[in-house]
Amino acid sequence: MTTTVRRLADATRDLPFALLDEESKREIRRALLQAVATPGYQVPFGSREMPVARGWGSGGLQISLAIVGRNDVVKVIDQGDDEGVNAVNLRRLITTSTGTEESTEVDESTLIQSRHRIPEDAMGEDHILVLQVPVPEPLRGIERDMKELARMHAEADYSKMWVSLYEDKVRNGVITQTTGYPCLVAGRYVTATTPIPRWDIPRLHHSEFLTLFGAGREKRVYAIPPHTDVEPLTFEDVPFEVESADGARCKLCGSTESFLVETPGETSSWSCSDTAWCRRRRLA
Amino acid sequence: MGYAAARGGLSAIKSAEDLVRRLRDDDPSQTLDTDQFTGRLRLLVDRVMGEAGLWAPELAAMAIRQAEGDNIEAVHLLRAYKSTLPRIAVAKVIDADEIVAERRVVPAFRKPGGPQLLGRSTDYTARMLDPRHDATVSQSRSTIDSDLHTNGSEQTPSAPTMTRMSQVLRDMHLLVDRRRADDPDPFDITRMPARPPAPRSARLSTMARAETGALIGQWYRNILGPDGYLHEVTLGEVRHGSLPLVAQHPVTGGDVKFGEIRVTEVEAIEDLNGVEEDRGSFDVGYGMCLGHNERKAIAMANLDIACHRDGSRSSLEQSILMTTDGLDSAGFLEHLKLPHYVTFRSMIERKVAVRRARGQV
Repeated sequence: MTTTVRRLADATRDLPFALLDEESKREIRRALLQAVATPGYQVPFGSREMPVARGWGSGGLQISLAIVGRNDVVKVIDQGDDEGVNAVNLRRLITTSTGTEESTEVDESTLIQSRHRIPEDAMGEDHILVLQVPVPEPLRGIERDMKELARMHAEADYSKMWVSLYEDKVRNGVITQTTGYPCLVAGRYVTATTPIPRWDIPRLHHSEFLTLFGAGREKRVYAIPPHTDVEPLTFEDVPFEVESADGARCKLCGSTESFLVETPGETSSWSCSDTAWCRRRRLA
Repeated sequence: MGYAAARGGLSAIKSAEDLVRRLRDDDPSQTLDTDQFTGRLRLLVDRVMGEAGLWAPELAAMAIRQAEGDNIEAVHLLRAYKSTLPRIAVAKVIDADEIVAERRVVPAFRKPGGPQLLGRSTDYTARMLDPRHDATVSQSRSTIDSDLHTNGSEQTPSAPTMTRMSQVLRDMHLLVDRRRADDPDPFDITRMPARPPAPRSARLSTMARAETGALIGQWYRNILGPDGYLHEVTLGEVRHGSLPLVAQHPVTGGDVKFGEIRVTEVEAIEDLNGVEEDRGSFDVGYGMCLGHNERKAIAMANLDIACHRDGSRSSLEQSILMTTDGLDSAGFLEHLKLPHYVTFRSMIERKVAVRRARGQV
């Protein structure tokens, strides 16, 4: 028996396909099925410790590893950039542990893991988008007690959230919520849209693709299935606003119709956050 | 598949990894073997195993060496390794009274049932930095060996000779009886996330794996900080020793001992003084963690009883369950180093929107 235990603990043995042992992957897939069946509901799962730290995409990584197949083509972006260091690191973990192909192009990819962005390119029913979630609880800013939070979601009691949005508007003239804008999903659960910018929120409404959200540190997964209502919380007379900047245009591709990030101090300081999209426009 | 972009990110990462590896492994000093960690840095190895929730001294030593002594990083390496392993069997329940004690302290009574055993401890050693440490080691080794040898039988009393202080109090009819008739499976925090309200087993497992400093911090925060949800206890038992691991053999069905772990176990006696409590009785908090880590087990036992008395009225349970894991807190803290261009852009945009609404733009 001691020998068996020793052999099992041998650190030099071959690692399993997609790193996690099969039981763990199956457990994550079961949680994901529940998530798809209850859109926007945060499903608890036994989050595993990954080779990346918690807060660094461990939840998204667990989802990707649990669902990736040998025929998938994987794209990973961070801030819209395939070449961001954390995107590179997560992509090599997925591809080296599975042997799957990688791509920067949305139309070549089937599994897209992202932090903070939805790609600008259209995605279809063949795409699964995996978003890394730092804080899955949309109500934490207004309520700290977890028992009370559970009650609020269970009873769909979102009155405190509405009051907070109203006070924000009255005090500041606009709703100041920046990224991760709270949305009502399928008319039932208020859901944290990770910190994707408001620019990306309309893309989730009645999307063609499945979006899976993974919060490894907080041990929650949730989903927005295709063709699901995703309504940003706002008032009838206060239209939902996405990010904009007067006269902003990508200095590389000239785009005015993508999410742009700014480099202060430069004369033409704007560029597309989605680097693959921007590059293809320049090559076209 | 096309990967058109320059791969600057990857080469930066590989260079960073190479720098870490080279500067660590090419240091001119002598290389460190794992037995130097297990033999000479025992408490660090124990702490890492406890916080990882994995008894594997040699792997822990490898992890500490690879992590250049960063204990949270070492814990991360061990836990991530554990994630790749299937769970093949569950050990039988261990009776903590089977402990072979290397150390036992009972502050509550002068002469408890069984020995007070100071054992291997620096509790009463003057904390004087000893620059001659290496020179004196070889001279003193022979005396220590013979001391250990002659006292060997007295140094390792096994449990039946040690009466547990909670039992002593129970026999004196001074202990609230919280033993339960049913025997529910313990909450497995590695398979289900524990959130308040959670069963006691979830709180205990969480604390057993907690980052030692976080648990001590939580305890002291309740002593001198803004949260006064805790009351200082009298320690009934502080034990450190070995326990056998037994599993049922998958073929023969018989019990097989397949290893041993060392644990620290603490009983914390609480003087009940609440208005709804039995002022005529004591209650007991419990702490146990892997390895020799008395600080952690004491904080755990005190927080256990505090949490029970609190009855979910305060935020203590949430603090214990949600904020004491070293990998959670350190990982999230350090994620702030990741790029946040997109979120920051969105923040700037809202600042401008507020100023425009005020007529300032």
